[in-house]
Amino acid sequence: MNNQKWLRPARLVLGIIFLAGFILLFSDIKAKLPTGIYTFFTSTQFLPSILKLFTAHTLISAFFIFIILLTLFSGRVYCSVFCPLGIMQDTIAFFHRLLPFKRKRRKFKKALNYLRYPILGLFIVSMLFIGFYSINLLDPYANFGRIAGNLYQPVFIFLNNLMANILASMGIHSIQPIAMKLFTPPTFIAALSMFLLILLMVIYRDRLYCNTVCPVGTILGLLSRISYLKIRIIKHSCTQCGNCQTACKANCINIKEMSVDVSRCISCFNCITSCEDSSIGLVRLKSEKMAVSSASDKSKREFIKAGMLFLGAAPLIAHANNEDEDHDGGHHSRHRFHGRGPISPPGSRSIEQLKEHCIGCQLCISACPSKVLQPAFLDYGFMGMMFPKMDNKAGFCNYECTKCSEVCPTGAIQKITKKEKETVQIGTVQFRQHLCIVESEGTACGSCSEHCPTQAVKMVPYKDDLTIPEVDPDICVGCGACEYACPVEDPHVAIYVYPNEVHQVAQRPVIEELEVEETEDFPF
Amino acid sequence: MKRRDFIRKSATVTVASGALFSMGSWSPLMASGHRLASPFDLVAIKNGDPIAMFDAGIAVLGGMKTFVKANQTVVVKPNIGWDSPPERAANTNPDVVGRIVKHCLDAGAKKVMVFDNTCDEWTRCYKNSGIEKAVKDNGGQMVTGKTEGHYHEVDIPKGVVLKKTKVHELILESDVFINVPVIKNHGGATMSLTMKNLMGVVWDRGYYHKNDLHQCIADFTTFKKPDLNVVDGFRAMMRNGPRGVSVADVSEKKYQLISRDMVAIDTAATKIFGMEPERVAHIGLAEKLGSGTTNLDSLNIKRISI
Repeated sequence: MNNQKWLRPARLVLGIIFLAGFILLFSDIKAKLPTGIYTFFTSTQFLPSILKLFTAHTLISAFFIFIILLTLFSGRVYCSVFCPLGIMQDTIAFFHRLLPFKRKRRKFKKALNYLRYPILGLFIVSMLFIGFYSINLLDPYANFGRIAGNLYQPVFIFLNNLMANILASMGIHSIQPIAMKLFTPPTFIAALSMFLLILLMVIYRDRLYCNTVCPVGTILGLLSRISYLKIRIIKHSCTQCGNCQTACKANCINIKEMSVDVSRCISCFNCITSCEDSSIGLVRLKSEKMAVSSASDKSKREFIKAGMLFLGAAPLIAHANNEDEDHDGGHHSRHRFHGRGPISPPGSRSIEQLKEHCIGCQLCISACPSKVLQPAFLDYGFMGMMFPKMDNKAGFCNYECTKCSEVCPTGAIQKITKKEKETVQIGTVQFRQHLCIVESEGTACGSCSEHCPTQAVKMVPYKDDLTIPEVDPDICVGCGACEYACPVEDPHVAIYVYPNEVHQVAQRPVIEELEVEETEDFPF
Repeated sequence: MKRRDFIRKSATVTVASGALFSMGSWSPLMASGHRLASPFDLVAIKNGDPIAMFDAGIAVLGGMKTFVKANQTVVVKPNIGWDSPPERAANTNPDVVGRIVKHCLDAGAKKVMVFDNTCDEWTRCYKNSGIEKAVKDNGGQMVTGKTEGHYHEVDIPKGVVLKKTKVHELILESDVFINVPVIKNHGGATMSLTMKNLMGVVWDRGYYHKNDLHQCIADFTTFKKPDLNVVDGFRAMMRNGPRGVSVADVSEKKYQLISRDMVAIDTAATKIFGMEPERVAHIGLAEKLGSGTTNLDSLNIKRISI
């Protein structure tokens, strides 16, 4: 067998680059990273890239095809190189091993098939019948995103502010403190419980999560059963020392029977490095003499092939289903959002569009510089618990900013330019004059109009020298600045944004020529 | 062990410094009491670029040395409220801010710090206003105005409505305070000039809006008077203020005003804007509180045309 010992170091380097990259994305607390970096990393993610195919229609979004081909060639390399949640588990395991506890030697364990296939089945069924947003719960990237955004980012902000305070106390203002993210208990608890679940599973059995819960892991595991290259033990030179079995993070090497459960192999290549006799490694199908193809194996393979076809078609069917619903169910959803439903961010086009493609990774929320994007609780329904919504109490959408649309990995928020955003109307302004300071107190204010980028809220003459807001919903983009700035608290703000379930096109403000009298001399 | 020591020490420093800031009782008595050494109460300059106008104006006041002594710390407060480029005139012209920083450092200032409690997201405001670059290029430092911990409660005994508010520590601590607004129309406050610009040194602007905006603006002038006010009238926002909708809202006036008297300088700026100062309520209210005079005829005004 050729020397394959370079595989593990290569996997380590790539894995570290990707994990570091993803942590960086979710900790871009100063919004310094260029969009290209976001695109580069997020486009490698399996389920997001499938979703992106429906929203972007570009080749860059078809990275999942590459992942499928890669898996068919050499197994689940994805799980050790591209998946941030997977590499995060390796990192946890690494630090766990540094602790002075005695750890059990790793042994071969049977696959928990009674869990992993039903979970995948449920996942697919819910995707078909409930909608795409069931991906939300189990997609590894989305889970990583929520963990990174809710647990890691605050740490980075804390460290930044600590440094800033230390430097400021020495009179240096080169690092600026930044405001801590708004604390949203449901999201935090969701992220924390997922993190704890993964932590416990890692401590119990390394990559158990990837081989039991993760639907991407199970899908790629099915594919890797028929991959061209597979990890195999070379029986004639193997001494059955068991090093590979101890090194295996997936507990999928059975040294007694000299067999490897490739469906669980996450291509970490630790076994190759651990073997002193070069008796384990990637082997081509053809030279795989040991594999005896029994009848049952054959039928199993048939089943897998059928499953794969089904899997490939599932997103298509789901998508078609959802589109059908749009045609006849449009008016029903209006009733659901009586009162004030959520406002979805510019670029998401409609609440339905967002719900169909969002996986709740919250990269947009992490990246939003003005903090107006906040995780929804039940605003989008139970399954949309982690989705982004505009929270005009927390902030308002910066007129010139298109950050969320640039970073979204699935196209739930589609890329829009600044120019396009100027006419995207996510909601319209509503004014309750009887609550307005100018009417109730008879004093000047203008806080709302002051913040309005299009002057859809304009101050017009009122009593005496006072001015009062006048609204023009046609030119309103729904940014929420007026609502955020309104000083009235009790019982409601005097001006607010009513959501457009389907985003509309705002008219551009009419710009009149300015008439100025030019004077030659000083006017005093 | 070393690392742990470092963390412990740095944490102590942080806590201690925080405690120090919050314990001090800030009062107007601590404000430095410069008197204008020049015979002029107000300098008005026109027809130049922002840099040339400031150079000419500060020269007739005896140069920046009149206001800034060696080793003093200076805080400059421009209007950086909006994520908007210089040509839209929503923010103070970056050239004049940069020039003021340079003059201060040339006069021997230990350091010059610039901040605003912005309305739009602050990093975008600092960047797109061009002010961050101008300040750094001239050797000054940008400081955030968006950290509540930097603001400390002060009493305003002479205030009619505004009796207490939280003020940025740079305003409280710095030896010299230079206020640099831009001439703008304002939907609520009628005009945004030196007095309105000082809303950017307090934390809770909502209180102003809730409790008689004009009176609060006037009240704050009794707390602390800037050592120098420079009104940027190179471009003026004539309508849709204070944010503006497009460059069509802007008129190139090519003016600049320098004075210590906020009431007088705002009166003059309102006239340049083309409005009767009586219509701007906070100007009259501030005069009533003794913060300055609207009677420009009583002042010694130097007029320079470049």
